[in-house]
Amino acid sequence: MRVNDTPPWQRDIAMMFQDFALFPHMTVARQVGFGLEMLRRPAAEIRRRVTDSLAAFDIGALADRKPDTLSGGQKQRVALARALITEPRILLLDEPIGSLDYSLREAVMLELRDVQRRLGISFIWVTHDQNEAFSLGDRVVVMNHARIEQVGAPEDIAERPRTRFVASFVQGTNVFDGTVESVDGDHIRVRTPSGSFLVPRPDERSPSAGEPTSFSVRAALLTMRPGSEHVNQVRAVCHAIEYLGAIRRYDFRLADGRSLKLEQFTGRDRRIGEGEPVTLGWRIEDGWLHAPPVEPA
Amino acid sequence: MSTRRERPPTSYALAGPAGLWMLVALVVPTLFIVWVSLWVARGFTLASPLTLANYGKFFARPAYVHVLGDTVQQALVMMVITGVVGYSIAYFLVVHVRRPGLQLALFLGLVVPFWTSALIRTIAWIPFLGVNGVINQALLAIGAVDRPVEAFLFSRAGITLAQVSFYTLLATGPVVYTLRNIPRSLPEAAQCLRATPLHVFWLITFPLTLPGVVIGQILVFLNVMADFATAQAIGGHKYAFLGNLVILLYESGQFSFAAVVSVLLMTTMLLGVALLLKVVDIRRFGEP
Amino acid sequence: MIAWRTRQRLVKGALGAVTVLFLAYQWLPMLTMAVLSFTGPEGGTTFPMRGVSLHWYRELLRVQMVDDFKPPLARSVALALACSVTTAALALAAAQAMRARFLGSRIYFYLILLGVMAPGLLVGFGVALLARALGLGLAWYTSTFAVHIVWTLPFGFLTMLAVFNRFDRRLEEAALTLRATHWTTFWRITFPLVLPGVIGAALFGFTLSYDEFARSLFATGPEQTLPLVIYAQFDRQLQPTLYAIGAVTTAVSLGAVALFACLVRLFRRRTLTRARAVPAPNIP
Repeated sequence: MRVNDTPPWQRDIAMMFQDFALFPHMTVARQVGFGLEMLRRPAAEIRRRVTDSLAAFDIGALADRKPDTLSGGQKQRVALARALITEPRILLLDEPIGSLDYSLREAVMLELRDVQRRLGISFIWVTHDQNEAFSLGDRVVVMNHARIEQVGAPEDIAERPRTRFVASFVQGTNVFDGTVESVDGDHIRVRTPSGSFLVPRPDERSPSAGEPTSFSVRAALLTMRPGSEHVNQVRAVCHAIEYLGAIRRYDFRLADGRSLKLEQFTGRDRRIGEGEPVTLGWRIEDGWLHAPPVEPA
Repeated sequence: MSTRRERPPTSYALAGPAGLWMLVALVVPTLFIVWVSLWVARGFTLASPLTLANYGKFFARPAYVHVLGDTVQQALVMMVITGVVGYSIAYFLVVHVRRPGLQLALFLGLVVPFWTSALIRTIAWIPFLGVNGVINQALLAIGAVDRPVEAFLFSRAGITLAQVSFYTLLATGPVVYTLRNIPRSLPEAAQCLRATPLHVFWLITFPLTLPGVVIGQILVFLNVMADFATAQAIGGHKYAFLGNLVILLYESGQFSFAAVVSVLLMTTMLLGVALLLKVVDIRRFGEP
Repeated sequence: MIAWRTRQRLVKGALGAVTVLFLAYQWLPMLTMAVLSFTGPEGGTTFPMRGVSLHWYRELLRVQMVDDFKPPLARSVALALACSVTTAALALAAAQAMRARFLGSRIYFYLILLGVMAPGLLVGFGVALLARALGLGLAWYTSTFAVHIVWTLPFGFLTMLAVFNRFDRRLEEAALTLRATHWTTFWRITFPLVLPGVIGAALFGFTLSYDEFARSLFATGPEQTLPLVIYAQFDRQLQPTLYAIGAVTTAVSLGAVALFACLVRLFRRRTLTRARAVPAPNIP
């Protein structure tokens, strides 16, 4: 459904802005009813629906207040009520919790998700925060300079990043750059400055030898005690260790200076110290080859 | 020189000279004018007894009342014209011009004439408006008229034309300032709420710029009320506003009467400003 | 129905036309005057120009009994320079005082601002009356100077207030923690950083005084300033010499603005890039 040629005031789309965009010179009640006013609804209907909407968002007491007297969370709810009262098909949210206090963000995020589930309206939520996107989104779209790099469920994005950009965007992923050395049936050998590794061949493609390429391995899939199934191996030195409660994150340095991240549940064995040399390994199927970069639009 | 101390003694020492200057050179002379306006004597007599009758005499002369009316009327006309033209220019500069370089260039183009002498700008209008002037020659050349239009020079229209070129910027500036302060997301939000561009302007943009509009109107009002040079240069001796009247009376030695006109001028200006400020207070962030 | 995008473009076009037309409207008279000032010796005060020459400019230079522009020009420039310095100094002091809330600072603010709101003619009138009452004479370097400052000071004051508003107090506090006195802090830290504002105030002082005539009308003695001499020409017949002096005086005004703008750029660059060599501390 293309809306480029429809004037903005006729599109069935509502929007929530990062700075809330509340009208400073109008009371909350007037603002919330603004969309209905523009739709020429009768005054009595507007009053009724505004009262209902304010009650639904628990801001009935603020009806006669002006925006400059409201708190961040209150402004958010007014903006939401205002946007949803016209019953749009889609709601666009531009970094809606970016300007809230850190402590509020989680609560508001969940509240917004509840609203969406209740109303059944599609929300398009724009954010720079990967955690937000992955915890909220049913479908995630990763974009790079106005180009779509990948669309999919959070799990797909994280575990099967289509391009190098997406892989480097997702936290907890190691990216290797190199060239295709040979294609060996279901596997591809990729030569990188850190060594030569085997990666599963993606179904839909058959890269040719000499082609530049990249692949990624999730940090959680690396092991410090490689067994026979961990065909890909590399020597590394432990550079830093981060304790994050449930997991420990290790930062290893390879011979060529590159770093690799490894994540492990605390409580699992093999504790090592900083500066200790170790061999890291992963199975062939833990690697994921990337598609060539998306051409500029 | 303090950065933190409250009410430090040095502040008074620093503020003193400027404050004193304004008191001696502005406040005291103004009060003196008020005193002179109450003199019974016409000439300069310090010991003169005082009376309010002078004001009565002013209002008893229809010619003088006419001048007062003319001045106020001219101010009102100018406020309307500069208000509309000034707002249009401000809107174009802030909303429609995207490139900051172009915006700055246009703004400078509007502002630079202000750095030159107002007198010269007034004089420059005379060759424009006269019977042999540029406007008439242009009109003749394109055949719009067969005879030169005499109505430009020595007419109210001519004075108004010239004053528009002087004072419109006063109406534009404050509006530019208030327009700039409206976040870009506001009109967008309104459009998402089904408001057409006309609605957006009338219900969102204009109310938010109202303080700027009023300040601009106040500035234009004050300037037009006090203007005498334009009337003299372009109106010749056919037109007199309150300022011209003061000069006339002063030069003929009628000091107390000149003072009366001065006080009336100042009072009218104060009343006008008070009225205009009331508009802002009532309508500030208000709704119909 | 016109499509909405076309309508938007039409509105933009209309407003743009108004703006451009107004720009022309503002500039054409002055440009015309400048062009006409070069008219030949037979030329009148309007088109068509009869020849192109510097005749009328040469007329300006001639010493004349009546309508001599040179002494008034000199007086105006001298007065403008004096106003420039005085305005900058007074505005700086007043704005610095305003930074601490002293008793009556609100009234003080409006007191200074009165200078803009009071009609010039009446200010001059009042001063003339007052001088007469006190038996003082009027002169361009006393009474005119006084009323000029009344006019220029508010502009300089507002400029300095705006500059101080943007000024980061913490810089001063940092200096104070480094054992500097208030006096040193002001001259070594604050002043260089607000210098552009000071120059701006000085610019206002110069140009506003140079062009001032309404206040000066009654408050000046027999030796007149340039704008007053020009004003006196209104009642006489218009001569191209007036255009010439008009062009000259406009050039002076614009030249002053350009000069001050350059000064600001110069000082800003010097203050922000020049580092003074400081001997390294001798830490054993």
